[in-house]
Amino acid sequence: MIVGFASSIYKKYEGSTFQLLAETVSKAMEMANMELKQIDGLFYTYLPGTIEGKASLHFPSFQIPTFLGIKPRIIDSVDYGGPSALTMVYRAEKLISAGEIENALCIVGGKASFLRENRVTVDSVDRFFGNVSLTPFDEFYRIYEDINPVTDYALVAKRHSKLFGTTDEQRALLAVMQRKNAMGNNKALYRTPLTVKDVLSSRVVSDPLRLLEIVYPVDGFHVFVVSKHHSKSDLRPIKIEFYNEAHWNEMPTELQDIVYTPAIESSKGAKINGVDAFELYDSFTITVMLQIEDIGLVEKGRAGKFVEDNDLTYQGNVPINTGGGSLNVGQPAYMSGGVILEEALLQLNNMAYNHQVKGANRILVNGIGGWNRGHSVTMVLRGE
Amino acid sequence: MFDEIKKRYLEMFESEKLPYVKCNKCGYVFYYPRDYCPKCGSKDLAVLESKGVGKVFSYTKFVNKDGKEVIYGIVELNEGFRMYTNFLDEVDIGDEVVVKYTIKDGRKIPIFSKNKPKKE
Ligand SMILES: [Zn+2]
Repeated sequence: MIVGFASSIYKKYEGSTFQLLAETVSKAMEMANMELKQIDGLFYTYLPGTIEGKASLHFPSFQIPTFLGIKPRIIDSVDYGGPSALTMVYRAEKLISAGEIENALCIVGGKASFLRENRVTVDSVDRFFGNVSLTPFDEFYRIYEDINPVTDYALVAKRHSKLFGTTDEQRALLAVMQRKNAMGNNKALYRTPLTVKDVLSSRVVSDPLRLLEIVYPVDGFHVFVVSKHHSKSDLRPIKIEFYNEAHWNEMPTELQDIVYTPAIESSKGAKINGVDAFELYDSFTITVMLQIEDIGLVEKGRAGKFVEDNDLTYQGNVPINTGGGSLNVGQPAYMSGGVILEEALLQLNNMAYNHQVKGANRILVNGIGGWNRGHSVTMVLRGE
Repeated sequence: MFDEIKKRYLEMFESEKLPYVKCNKCGYVFYYPRDYCPKCGSKDLAVLESKGVGKVFSYTKFVNKDGKEVIYGIVELNEGFRMYTNFLDEVDIGDEVVVKYTIKDGRKIPIFSKNKPKKE
């Protein structure tokens, strides 16, 4: 049972990454009404370059507990970026129900400002630190000029338009509706009204993707506390009704087509009828469009029309990214999984105030990970 | 062996030949070198030379740190495999392109350009 959660998000946090983590952990523990000495399970996810500006951390499994002062019996890390937050919470629940642990801390985040200011992303970290590999084939893959991952998603957006007639306006409209949701979310960095014209006139970063279709990397953590004991928390009991992972091992060039994601597989068996809101991984506008298709809201190629025909705001007929998503909240340490999971929990606990979906009781969360969209996790959360 | 296939690739680049791998068992063709067939698992593979002609599968344009426009994308070769590349000139999806070679960090690497019909 999730008994506490918290986030701390800054455009730029001046202090150390560990300090930012500790700040977030204490807020989550406060909500859970628990003390750190009760934590016996630790789950974390971490990407290169996002902690203290180091290319890599040696034994984060020692560094995190020693800084926080916790003594877990079980430590596990999940390293596939975006959807890892969902996986950690699921695995914590499993270990709790198996009697292995009682109280788990799940941590995702870091500082993106260091890489951002050096004009790289975590998926092009090899261009900054050198001596980092992205694939076993870097001598053949990393020899070309790109701005990974933006260029790779731009290739998908371009091909989606060519195959299905999806327009720049349709992707812009998705960004506009997410902004409407963000306007009521006091956690969002971007809350001023936005029009399709604003999106289309923002700078083209990698054709056809424009600046306002791309997440802004920020500093921040999300922390989730999962416990066997629910009595001390004010949160509503929430059940993981559905959970499934899919991992594709192909280079995108070897997929049947680049317009598919493993969400097709991870969402298989999830009942989308009666879902009150969808929190879909939004690294880019096109990422959301792909998931709208791949989780089965509409058939492949029809997401553009779907966006035009439906109201995706929190008051609409198909609420999607009800807090504005990470396009508006910012993307802590190049991973949006914490943002979408936290939004689902706010909704289910009726804590979303000015962006609350009335009576939200079942929420589908889908995370996508990897520069190549190789990982997908689908989760349906339900209030008890 | 993975290392042998990689070495062969780099040698072929130097002599301006575009390599790919074909599975002798199931016929699957692929570019990024592995010592097994990702479709059927067979280790009976052949490194072949592509004719270097293909079509643009997708592309994108961006301006790099030096203010220069760069075209990046995926090409599908006529033999049936795809690879990431830069394009030397303006392209659209479906355009025919041919392999050229450029020097990167002292090594020859394949890059693609629009196939301009030769005037005989
Ligand atoms: Zn084969």
